[in-house]
Amino acid sequence: MDELKVLSEVVQYIKVEMGDETFGIDISYVDNILRMQRITRVPNTPDYIKGVINLRGEIVPIMNLRLKMGLEEVEETKATRIIIVKMDQIGKLGFIVDCVKEVISLEEEQMESIIHDSKDETTHFVNAVGKVGDSIISLLDLNTVVLDKAVREDNA
Amino acid sequence: MDVSQYLEIFIDETKEHLQNLNTSILELEQDPGNMDTVNEIFRAAHSLKGMAGTMGYKRMQTLTHDMENVFSEVRNGSIKVNAEVIDVLFQILDALDEYLNNIQSSADEGTNDNENLIKALNAFLDGKNDVREVSASAVVTDTNKKTADDRDKWKDMQFNESQIHVLQEATAKNMNVIGLTVYVQESCILKAARAFLVYKTLEDMGEIIISNPSAQDIEDEKFDFDFSIIMVSEAGADKAIAAAKSVSEIEEVVGGLVDIKAYETDEKTNDIQVKEASYVQENNTNAAVKTETAKTPENKKKPVVNRTVRVDIEKLDDLMNLVSELIIAKNSLVSATTAKANSSDNGAVNEQIEYLESVTTNLHESVMKVRMVPIETVVNKFPRMIRDLQKKLGKRMELYMSGEDTELDRTVVDEIGDPLMHLLRNSADHGIEEDENLRIQRGKPVVGSIHLDAYQDGNNVVIEVRDDGNGIDVEKVKEKAIERGTITEEQAAVMTDKEIINLLFLPSFSTAKTISDVSGRGVGLDVVRSKIESLSGEVEVKSTLGVGSVWTIRLPLTLAIIQSLMVVIGGEKYAIPLGMIQTLESIAPSDVKFVQQKEVIHLRGSVIPIVRLSEVLGCTSTKNADEEMIAVIVKKGDKMAGLIIDELIGQQEIVIKSLGKYINKSKIISGATILGDGEVALIVDPNALI
Repeated sequence: MDELKVLSEVVQYIKVEMGDETFGIDISYVDNILRMQRITRVPNTPDYIKGVINLRGEIVPIMNLRLKMGLEEVEETKATRIIIVKMDQIGKLGFIVDCVKEVISLEEEQMESIIHDSKDETTHFVNAVGKVGDSIISLLDLNTVVLDKAVREDNA
Repeated sequence: MDVSQYLEIFIDETKEHLQNLNTSILELEQDPGNMDTVNEIFRAAHSLKGMAGTMGYKRMQTLTHDMENVFSEVRNGSIKVNAEVIDVLFQILDALDEYLNNIQSSADEGTNDNENLIKALNAFLDGKNDVREVSASAVVTDTNKKTADDRDKWKDMQFNESQIHVLQEATAKNMNVIGLTVYVQESCILKAARAFLVYKTLEDMGEIIISNPSAQDIEDEKFDFDFSIIMVSEAGADKAIAAAKSVSEIEEVVGGLVDIKAYETDEKTNDIQVKEASYVQENNTNAAVKTETAKTPENKKKPVVNRTVRVDIEKLDDLMNLVSELIIAKNSLVSATTAKANSSDNGAVNEQIEYLESVTTNLHESVMKVRMVPIETVVNKFPRMIRDLQKKLGKRMELYMSGEDTELDRTVVDEIGDPLMHLLRNSADHGIEEDENLRIQRGKPVVGSIHLDAYQDGNNVVIEVRDDGNGIDVEKVKEKAIERGTITEEQAAVMTDKEIINLLFLPSFSTAKTISDVSGRGVGLDVVRSKIESLSGEVEVKSTLGVGSVWTIRLPLTLAIIQSLMVVIGGEKYAIPLGMIQTLESIAPSDVKFVQQKEVIHLRGSVIPIVRLSEVLGCTSTKNADEEMIAVIVKKGDKMAGLIIDELIGQQEIVIKSLGKYINKSKIISGATILGDGEVALIVDPNALI
């Protein structure tokens, strides 16, 4: 029983970097991590949708996480990666991130939920922070990142 | 015994039989004297009864049994088919359908005994007895006799010359020629196995010369509950009967000696009936009266059964996906070799690739064909529906159908039923005039006609629903639209009739003054349109007030793989479905004229609006403004448009992939495809641009 309890409290995150900030993406959603590749632009989509790629015969839409979070777009580098996540409602989706660091395990006491500051777009998608040693990692709420689009459209 | 594994087959087959019955009974209504139809119905009812019995659906069995009884009397001519009988029969079909639905959802037939229907059937049977006694007193009503005649099916068997020869030789050697009809218990599940045992037992005693149905059919269980055998043996008929009876689950065996000498005179004719020279073991008492009974149609007229296999549609989908992958792989092989085209001795490789191309194309076509089903399965229920509507609406009308054998992808056929039904109901309810005098005034036949025509047109299948009714009253639609606030009066003033009629396809728009239970609930045409568009098809209506309306549905033959024209716009590759393309034109910039601030070109007598795809797709054309332009002329219904592109690549077979739910909002892009080099190209949907 004890063992089970411990397991359920540990969540693994993929640590990614964008600009100066470090983010964590829940590993249970992650399907694949790819190097940057040619993306086919899709017309009439929001600017943060970069287009679609061919992932082993499947068409997967790609989102630029920087643009989505209101950050500056940067030139792609050798470290740029696409993280493919698989969501229940919409299937596969890729996020472009500056670079992928490592996989970290966080226990519950290392995580702290935060209260949203509605004016700040970047924190809007972060539902908690994790503390590893001295550094702080913003944990992304993928559902908000993905579904945010629909909300905005409804309001428009 | 557990029969659940047969449930699926039972449901499928019952559906088929019910559909057959529906069609046949409609035929019977038109032509009550047609014995072929009666026999057809009798057979279907009989099979249904047997199947329901095997599966343990007692209520269904009782109902079909009684129906079969009525038909057996119709066949004997003692019951006349009239409107009343037909009505009851249709009600029975509905009741059976209900049972089937219950079975399908819960594997249980439900508790409705349908006693009133059974009573109605029995009333017909009782009525028959009166008729019979008056008209044919000589006929004994003794059912035993009837069964005796019916049961000796072996007497109806026919021999060909060589078989007669064998039999004659046997008799010459003092062997007995024995005819047997074996009845398997109706509760028996493994009929074929029992039949096999009978066969084996009999073969120990002598040689089986002929069997009906054939040994192969018996092995495949293609028989109801009886089969007949002619054999030669040293033993007598009694022994053979006893031996056959020793097999369990055999209900009854009748048989006797065949007098082969009877044939000698007739030898030249190939078809001879066995004359009886025998006794019936079971019904000795009634064996006295023996005439040549009418050949039982079951034995002779059985339609040739197609050699088919039922395959789960999912397996076909898997197969289709694999073919898609193969085509993508083939395309990449093609592009890999064309990249190296300049290098020497590529001849052999190219040849092989061409061969591979033709094989994959054929493979694709074959798989598509396997998935194709005739729309018959869907439209077959419509005559019945129109008949019912006729009664309900009190209008006289006739449905004419053509092209039922037109084939479409299975997935499309499954989806097309509802929209078609809706259009037909619309025609029946709103189309055909209520007032017959009005029809006469308009110079139309009193009976309204509705046509359902299907045909293939290039890469499309067209289904037309046509009626000679009232047509659409444009003014009424306009009034309604203004009243509902769909359009303003100013808008209405400048709209063409066609645009107004198209308003009917908007959600919640019904012009029927009263809401009937047939149509006019305000959900309808918009659903029809969205359904058809979801199948990548289109629907159009043409209507003349007082003359009638034509609804045209146009559907692509296949959904997964299409031929397309690959083009370049602003450095990006796009695919345009070839099915919609009329011609390719080269246009000088000076030929572009303006009509109402829109760019148009004049092409062979018609004015065609042009669409600069680079603008629509938000990219920058690589061509200068004074260069010649390439226009892809596309056609939707009778509307055309010229799509301006930068460069042509060529024709290519592409596999359509969905863009996924996340960015599926763009109407201009209908999907994506993967090119030979792994790159993704988007598919432009010209429908959204016209």
